[in-house]
Amino acid sequence: MQSFSDYLRSVDDDAFLKLFSARPDLVTPVPPDIASLAVRACSSPSLARAIDSLNQWQFQVLEAAAALNEPFSLKSIVAITDKAAAQALDHLISIGLVYPSDDGMRLPSQLRDVIGNEPAGLGPASIAKVKLTEIESAPAEAKKVLERLIWGPPRGSVGDIKNPGPGVSWLLENKFLVPLDQRTVILPREVAIHLRGGKVHKERFIVQPKLNGTKRDERQIDLAAIANISTVLRWVEELLNFWADEPSDALRAGGIGVRDLKILSTRLGVDESCTAFITELAFLSSLISIDAEDRIMPSNKFDIWLMQTPSDRWQVLASQWLITSRVSGLVGRADTKNVAALGPELDRVNAAKVRALTLSILQENPAIAPEINSFNEVVAWRAPVRRNSSLQEELASWTLREAEWLGITGQGAISKYGVEFLKGEDLTVINQDLPKTVDHILIQSDNTAIAPGPLEHEISQQLAMMAEIESRGGATVYRFSEATIRRALDHGKTGDEIKAFLTKTSKTPMPQPLEYLIADVSKKHGKLRVGNTTSFIRCEDTTLISQIMNDKRLEILALRRIAPEVVICDHDATDTMRILREAGYLPAGESTAGIMLTGPRSNRALTKPRPPRVIGEIEIPTAENLSAAIRAIRTGEKSTHKQTHLRQIANEALGALPRTTANETMDLVNRYISEEKSLSIGYADNNGAVTHRIIDPIRVSAGALIARDHATGEVQSFRIPRITGVAPL
Amino acid sequence: MTDGPLIVQSDKTLLLDIDHPLSTECRRAIAPFAELERSPEHIHTYRLTPLGLWNARAAGHDAEQVIDTLIKYSRYAVPHSILIDVAETMSRYGRLRLEADPVHGLILVTTDSAVLEEVIRAKKIQPLLGARIDKETIAVLPSQRGQIKQSLLRLGWPAEDFAGYVDGQAHDIALKEDGWKIRPYQELAAEGFWHGGSGVVVLPCGAGKTIVGAAAMAHAKATTLILVTNTVAARQWREELLKRTSLNEDEIGEYSGAKKEIRPVTIATYQVMTKKKNGVYAHLDLFDSYDWGLIIYDEVHLLPAPIFRFTADIQSRRRLGLTATLVREDGMEGEVFSLIGPKRFDVPWKEIESQGYIAPAECIEVRVNLTETERLSYATAEVENRYRFCATTRTKRDVVEALVKKHQGEQILVIGQYIDQLDELSEVLGVPVIKGETPVKEREILFNKFRSGELTTLVVSKVANFSIDLPDATIAIQVSGAFGSRQEEAQRLGRILRPKSDGRTATFYSVVSRDTIDQDFAQNRQRFLAEQGYSYKIIDADDVFQGKI
Repeated sequence: MQSFSDYLRSVDDDAFLKLFSARPDLVTPVPPDIASLAVRACSSPSLARAIDSLNQWQFQVLEAAAALNEPFSLKSIVAITDKAAAQALDHLISIGLVYPSDDGMRLPSQLRDVIGNEPAGLGPASIAKVKLTEIESAPAEAKKVLERLIWGPPRGSVGDIKNPGPGVSWLLENKFLVPLDQRTVILPREVAIHLRGGKVHKERFIVQPKLNGTKRDERQIDLAAIANISTVLRWVEELLNFWADEPSDALRAGGIGVRDLKILSTRLGVDESCTAFITELAFLSSLISIDAEDRIMPSNKFDIWLMQTPSDRWQVLASQWLITSRVSGLVGRADTKNVAALGPELDRVNAAKVRALTLSILQENPAIAPEINSFNEVVAWRAPVRRNSSLQEELASWTLREAEWLGITGQGAISKYGVEFLKGEDLTVINQDLPKTVDHILIQSDNTAIAPGPLEHEISQQLAMMAEIESRGGATVYRFSEATIRRALDHGKTGDEIKAFLTKTSKTPMPQPLEYLIADVSKKHGKLRVGNTTSFIRCEDTTLISQIMNDKRLEILALRRIAPEVVICDHDATDTMRILREAGYLPAGESTAGIMLTGPRSNRALTKPRPPRVIGEIEIPTAENLSAAIRAIRTGEKSTHKQTHLRQIANEALGALPRTTANETMDLVNRYISEEKSLSIGYADNNGAVTHRIIDPIRVSAGALIARDHATGEVQSFRIPRITGVAPL
Repeated sequence: MTDGPLIVQSDKTLLLDIDHPLSTECRRAIAPFAELERSPEHIHTYRLTPLGLWNARAAGHDAEQVIDTLIKYSRYAVPHSILIDVAETMSRYGRLRLEADPVHGLILVTTDSAVLEEVIRAKKIQPLLGARIDKETIAVLPSQRGQIKQSLLRLGWPAEDFAGYVDGQAHDIALKEDGWKIRPYQELAAEGFWHGGSGVVVLPCGAGKTIVGAAAMAHAKATTLILVTNTVAARQWREELLKRTSLNEDEIGEYSGAKKEIRPVTIATYQVMTKKKNGVYAHLDLFDSYDWGLIIYDEVHLLPAPIFRFTADIQSRRRLGLTATLVREDGMEGEVFSLIGPKRFDVPWKEIESQGYIAPAECIEVRVNLTETERLSYATAEVENRYRFCATTRTKRDVVEALVKKHQGEQILVIGQYIDQLDELSEVLGVPVIKGETPVKEREILFNKFRSGELTTLVVSKVANFSIDLPDATIAIQVSGAFGSRQEEAQRLGRILRPKSDGRTATFYSVVSRDTIDQDFAQNRQRFLAEQGYSYKIIDADDVFQGKI
């Protein structure tokens, strides 16, 4: 019998190439020798990853292989599956999930553990010989029992194994069922396969299901996609311009709060999941950064990005989206706890993989807008997941949604831009296909302005400042109001500038009400002035005010006269009073309510008192606590003594400890697990002291060897890095 | 990329470029399913609403047609989400049907039992239902026909109503087109209504809504109940019907505070219908006193709440709502649509104007300055009195005087909200005033004098906001109003929109105090008209005094 490492030693470079490209984890980092390669290839994480890459049919064949006793042949697999198994088996061999040994096909030692004990719902093989033909004559009750167990799980519970019902007892008698424990019976593998008509699976999913969907016109797809592309670019720009104006605050735990997300979503005129997607896009493309004060703001890269051509801008966004492990679809779902956009909880390991799979299915079905159920079926066939499959479906549906937002698809089918992007080809065609920008607006007498197409960047920015966007899409509708004109004035525009800009940009004459509105608002704007100051000095005697303004000794105060009777100053009131007093004036303090503050001052702290704690004393334990402690110590002592004694005997009998390298260890362990032999191992404890154990290895899982320790008679797990050596007994 | 006149926005608005050669064709194509929202000078805004799409379904259009139309006229690619939404929304229509069953009376039938299960579990629907007949059918209490339609609409599963309308007692009515002809849009409106069964027709003031009512009656050929705002309006309806239809005096009754006649065609006022005696509505029996084949609601935007409730109970009768301005500041537009029926016809004001059926009008906002002392008292006035204070400022009086003088010889209406202000103006101008307390008889005498030209200037309160026909009035001067009411502004403009015999332009002045809430309210009031394409010109009071305009 050849081991997996023996097999690896025998294959050529081509086979390695195939193996490594299918399972890149085997060469990152590059293993030192074939033995360690074999160990890595047989480790459960690597096997699980390889199994994840199988499609449903390949997985079914693998399950069937696991249901056979080793060694097995292609013929035996075909017998319990289908003729098409040969091809699938070749693939399984090429990625090292099955290997041809000198006596037939074998599975890598840990594969069965990864697949599970009951592949395809089949129980263990029967130990006794069963006469399968006799099953036809089973009584009706027995047949009923068999029907329940046939498609798995193969275990059934009975009230009492000694006194089962007539059906079960007939089956037990004829060895068609095997008792597992007091209450459980199990259907042996051969019986189940026989009952399943000689096959392992009810249905064999040999070919990928056909993708159903709506056929779309290619021109319409591209038109829709280019509209999506221009929209997503606009969204990102609008979002970042908004943040440049009013940065959102990041939550302490990271990410955008629910309220801020809502504000952004009304601002952009899209729903919250789309808003989350846009914020994530900007984040992935490093167009935003979160500063030390937790404010979310556009980064310098945003300015660079803005200067790029639309196709480059789009490519930045789309390529970051393609590879990210972050899933914006998780944000704000009703059924789960709130996950924040830009927050730390959005990473999902399989996100990029499912995204790539989704896109490749779209690519294989050009001009088809997939119907979601059918799409999920295809995805499930291509990547059958055994745990958390709902997430995979969601990931796929989010990918479809996001691909549409991005314009990789149009009307749900892949667009030419998407195809070229995924192929990594030149995207300048986007620049030609985007609708031509317009350089004018139409102002109407109801105080709205309409840009009948995408506006030139400069104009749209100016306009966004002085009007509110009321409707978005191919065109943009702006509405002027008192508040929006005021905003423009706050940004440093003057009324005349606004008017001049609008007159220049508008194709239609400026309606008079709007002109009046601008004039009215700019007339009123800035009439009231507000500012910060630290202290003020006021005096009803204006000559005294003039005197202190001209007093050279007070220059340090940098006084500013804001009214005949009021002077402000950036020093705080106490300092100002001190300096005034030093210069010979007689100021008195005044509270904000205008009350004069005089009289003796006796200060009080504003914080709560915190007296120091007493340290150095330990509370005396109660009698119960003490007696419990003593009991625990005595029990521990007894068992330690017994174990030490047993180990001493073993050590004396065997002499020196075995020593093997880690790879040899794994190799030996894997071999002896299948041979069911006892091993002698050296095992390091927590303190590094190595002891000698005699064990019966059972299996390897999660970096530990599960084995029965002869000294204690218990099943225990031995961490593999701590095993210093293995030797057969 | 086509170069169409339509831009479909992602928020389901449709922008129609009316300077585009295809705009008229496109307008006609989208009118069945999109609702006109604004129609200013250059770009008209339509909106896709579930209601609009369902109405289109009811009128026999399917989703594919709607989508084709959008794609055909669209300048840019139509957002995919909108196409999906249109298809989805329209597919919801017709899954539920209301039918008349010979055994069970009114029944709700479905083609999709899941939908039925969903709706019968709704709290609002449950009390309206009778016994379950089978998996796809359930009985409905006949009296709740209106209510259930309304509630189903809110749930997003509109029921197609196949239960039909009662024909009512037949009564022969025909249009009598001697010396006049029904206008094309009036005919379209009446037909649109008749095919839809029930609904609202929106036409500008002065565009002849009465004729649409008469044409609808001619279609129905049945006894008709007409509900109007006040007695003067009732008399006008009566005269108009006598003139335009084959009805004679004995066939038309007036049911008002003064008279209680019930005839095959009865005209009742909202006021009398909502009058309570000992805590109950005494006159609601009128609805049952005849087997009415048609009920017409004039100025439906003013429909009072009790009538709303009662209207829900008479869903088996045909209902026609007429209005110029379906904007209610109380946001009850939706109720009007679900109880009377959806909008069946709507046309931009400027389009009717361009066809010459309403007079072109110029809107001018005259801004007056408060004097220093007025400004100070305005600033210190209580918030609730501020509007009254600035709306009735002394300076406005001088402006009105100057304007009346300037338009000497033309027919002038001075309209205001506050009685003291109106009394004062009537005194200064030396003309009579019509207000709430003026008896109907006197009102009619004054209006008749005004129509005949004996009187050239009239001061009126809000009683003349609606339904008053003053064909030759060319100038309206508004001095104050009901705060920011958009429909009031439009209705007041409507008083001077009847086409003039000499084709003259009408002028609407709104006198506003500068830098006060009067100005803010004015801006809101003007919105509806601005959205209809009426552009206000703003001038200063001094320009009026110096005769610069």
